[in-house]
Amino acid sequence: MSSDTVIIGAGVNGLVTAAFLARAGRKVLVLERGDHIGGCARTTGLVPGFRCPTLAHVASIDPAIVRALDLARHGLRIIRPDADICAPTAGDRALVLWRDQARAAQEIRGFSASDADKYPRFLVSFSRIAAVLRNVCKSIPPSIDEPNAADLFTLLKAGRAFRGLGRADAYRMLRWMPMSVADLADEWFQSEPLRSVIAAGGILGSFLGPRSSGSAALLLLLGAGEGQPLANGWFAAGGPGALADALAAAAQRAGAEIRTLSDIVSINVTGETATGVTLTTGEVISARTVISNADPKRTLLGLVGATHLGPEFVRRMQNLRSHGTLAKVNYAVDALPRFTSLRSREASEQAAALSGRIRLASGVDAIERAFDAAKYGGFAEEPWIELTIPSIIDPALAPPGRHVVSAYVQYAPYHLRGSNWDSERDRLGDAATRTIARYAPDFESSIVGREVITPLDLERSYGLTGGHIFHGEIALDQFFVTRPLLGWARYATPIKNLFLCGSGTHPGTGMDGRSGALAARQVLKAPATWKP
Amino acid sequence: MKYDAIVIGGGHNGLTAAAYLARAGRKVLVLERRHVLGGAAVTEEVFPGFHFSVCSYVVSLLRPEIIRDLELPRHGLEILPLDGTFTPMPNGDHLWRVNDHARTQREIRRHSTLDAEAYDEYGKAMVEMARFVKPILDMTPPDPMSLDPRGLMKLAFLGKRFRALADLDRYNQVQLMTMSAVDFLDQWFETDVLKATMSASGIIGTFLGVRSPGTAYVLLHHYMGEIDGAFRSWGFARGGTGAISNAIAAAAREAGVEIRTEAAVARIAVANGEASGVVLTNGDELQASMVLSSVDPNLTFLKFMDTKDLPDDFVGDVRRYKFRGSSGKVNLALDGLPNFTCMPGDGPQLRGAISISPSVDYMERAYDQAKYGEFSRRPYMDMVIPTLTDPSIAPPGKHIMSCFVQYAPYKLASGTWDEQREAFGDTVIDTIAEYAPNIRDLILHRQVLTPLDIERDFGLTEGNIFQGELSLEQLFFARPLPGWAQYKTPIRNLWMCGSATHPGGGIMGAPARNCVMKILGNK
Repeated sequence: MSSDTVIIGAGVNGLVTAAFLARAGRKVLVLERGDHIGGCARTTGLVPGFRCPTLAHVASIDPAIVRALDLARHGLRIIRPDADICAPTAGDRALVLWRDQARAAQEIRGFSASDADKYPRFLVSFSRIAAVLRNVCKSIPPSIDEPNAADLFTLLKAGRAFRGLGRADAYRMLRWMPMSVADLADEWFQSEPLRSVIAAGGILGSFLGPRSSGSAALLLLLGAGEGQPLANGWFAAGGPGALADALAAAAQRAGAEIRTLSDIVSINVTGETATGVTLTTGEVISARTVISNADPKRTLLGLVGATHLGPEFVRRMQNLRSHGTLAKVNYAVDALPRFTSLRSREASEQAAALSGRIRLASGVDAIERAFDAAKYGGFAEEPWIELTIPSIIDPALAPPGRHVVSAYVQYAPYHLRGSNWDSERDRLGDAATRTIARYAPDFESSIVGREVITPLDLERSYGLTGGHIFHGEIALDQFFVTRPLLGWARYATPIKNLFLCGSGTHPGTGMDGRSGALAARQVLKAPATWKP
Repeated sequence: MKYDAIVIGGGHNGLTAAAYLARAGRKVLVLERRHVLGGAAVTEEVFPGFHFSVCSYVVSLLRPEIIRDLELPRHGLEILPLDGTFTPMPNGDHLWRVNDHARTQREIRRHSTLDAEAYDEYGKAMVEMARFVKPILDMTPPDPMSLDPRGLMKLAFLGKRFRALADLDRYNQVQLMTMSAVDFLDQWFETDVLKATMSASGIIGTFLGVRSPGTAYVLLHHYMGEIDGAFRSWGFARGGTGAISNAIAAAAREAGVEIRTEAAVARIAVANGEASGVVLTNGDELQASMVLSSVDPNLTFLKFMDTKDLPDDFVGDVRRYKFRGSSGKVNLALDGLPNFTCMPGDGPQLRGAISISPSVDYMERAYDQAKYGEFSRRPYMDMVIPTLTDPSIAPPGKHIMSCFVQYAPYKLASGTWDEQREAFGDTVIDTIAEYAPNIRDLILHRQVLTPLDIERDFGLTEGNIFQGELSLEQLFFARPLPGWAQYKTPIRNLWMCGSATHPGGGIMGAPARNCVMKILGNK
């Protein structure tokens, strides 16, 4: 068969691209190898009666895309929990950063008066800088060789936005970008829990420690979506899977066709032009345009194959840094975890405090030490952990009174030295459980089901090369005009009519759908923008 | 009497600034707190007959135009070649790179054929990169927030140069500016010891590890010297590093500069936003129409000035400026030469740098300990034995071994440096002894400089040898502070000309020269 446009992979970005192209009148066919759509945005059964965010546990979709695709009408219901973030301690006090900033400042005052005074100022500076970055994240990276009018306009706009910050914040932005997030947190705050939650925002999913230069840039970029440094991303009723369903509905409504259980073995190339794809079943689907939601390495080195690409391009693609460090542990529990440091609060307030993200770290150094282990190919006994308990705000996910607990566990390096993940999987799960139990002693006994997803599983089952959740490190050398590669940051590839739309392209900040939206824009301009 | 300019600090930058100003007809006074000139570029007879290059011990980046303009050779500067880097390994093997390219390739081929070929490519690529970066060293950084057309032209100039680069060079350039030394080298080489010993140049004087992003850039500095063409990439000054400062001082004096030692500045005289001179600790008041400070921002603004005279946000920025000394220095007076188990004898391998950097993990572990406030139990070391090249600095038959040691964090988690100085010295000796066991029997005297000593003796805050960390957020238009990268300060007629300003530390002289060019309106 044949289709005007084939999109490989029904992840968030693939579906966003599909929806926008279908709306623009393209005949779009989305091919998903799994039996579920959604890629990293999925909600699946853990044990009977319990449904849990399988991978990503927030649905940080770009609000502009929600509006443009009218996702609300297609069933997306965004929930903002009362608490952005909760930092339990091993002691009897927890720091809860409520969405209500005044209330958050009150909590902070309990730890440090000066931190409480600085917190609002920090958020103001941060959100102003984030607004500038948001512009960058919404723009197609300019061409360096022959910048066209649009490129220059983009740069001009960015430049103006930058100047608009005024000296103080403009210089802050210049300093913050290359800094380490630990230094950034130290400059502003004294209390360890606050420093730790901020530092954690700069290392999520990356092979960086809080003391690594450039980790502040990751904090800014991940926060750019909403200008909230601590807890970017919100929850979808029904879990992240519901976001994928809404996107799929929007795409199908616009005429796109989505086929699951359709695994691609190759992208067919004639000369240097993509002509379609071949499925594992042997079926060949020809297309005028092929767009890949898979990561750049998998797409070009795997599905296209080095033989169709220049050796220098292949070398650079092989050097694309995509060394995953994030593992996922999902729990079904028969009671809401009771954190020692929250015991002094009302039951209802405890639940509210746990309704957002829960970040477990005994300090910035503890996170750094967990990273140290990963540098030498091991994982720490006390990993850094971010929990969500989505069943608090979305009781439908678990039987009455019971809950699902979703845990990001870092650092779990894709490359283990002297061992492999198939034999270490459960040890990692146990380390996670023990670490959570340090803060919530009854946790271990409340577990009725557990699922451990290592970076190796992310690669095997979800096609993420190196198990990297962002399809490649988001770092100063792999961002904007250099994402995925310098000279190939505009969604086109050396193969004519083959485009990338996944997180491996700018801005690449996970499931916000921006990569997919920008790719769609670029595809609609093709072949004008295609450069050999 | 009133001077046209007073320069605070008689280090190589202070003296260079003074010399250039005097040659432009200004009446200049240089004030040095210590009894010797040179700052950290100094030679001192610490033990009878042994003339140590106490801090800085090799030279590579001294700007050739300064050597020419100030006619330093005529004033006694002689650079002796320092050939090669010898890296002993615990397993009895070694890596020995020398300036003779063919020999180095044969040596690397012993470890990996692929790397031997890559080494060629790498060298070529790095020279290209160095060409691109070199003009940036001699440029006053533009202020990204000002609309000054000269600044904008500079940005445009940089953009154009970048676009003019070949595709591959662009790719390398971006990576060098952003990646970690190890990530960058991983793309070229497979031999662990080669990557370890090369990556070392990326972390010298910073509180970063070889895997920290931003450390790749400094790899370039090793190739700058080559394209300057003035001398080989690394060398010794005959008579020790102090000879460089003395040559610059001689040039300055010849141009009419007055130099006072043991003249410590107490404060910079400021009246309604304008610098009018300095007051010495002995109470002397000296007038000048301009003051140049070659010391670091902490001393200049927080010690020598009343913060009330400065804008609050500026003071805040100065307080946030990162020093974080991370290295120490151990100077040894030896009765003979160390004998390395992996390559016995006193062959030419001892004439170059001897690098204790046996593996990438070794380097990174040394950093990990420092992160938590301890000095490395097995530190990275860069050692030289200058007496093999310049016997004049020690008694006949005796030798000097100079050991640069990292990591030694200024802030210790427990205890003080005064308590831990000797333990630190012992760690250094123990580490050397693992490769050259006879070292213990050779030691006649040992001088141990901790970051605290470097701060006390040489006025380098927190013992940072570059007057402030060379990390990305403190480079180019952010060095020393964002918005103040043009050698100016909020105080009229007060200028900065030390390593804390662009392009930063090392015996370059570029900050001072750029500053004077700015003052004279040539930039």
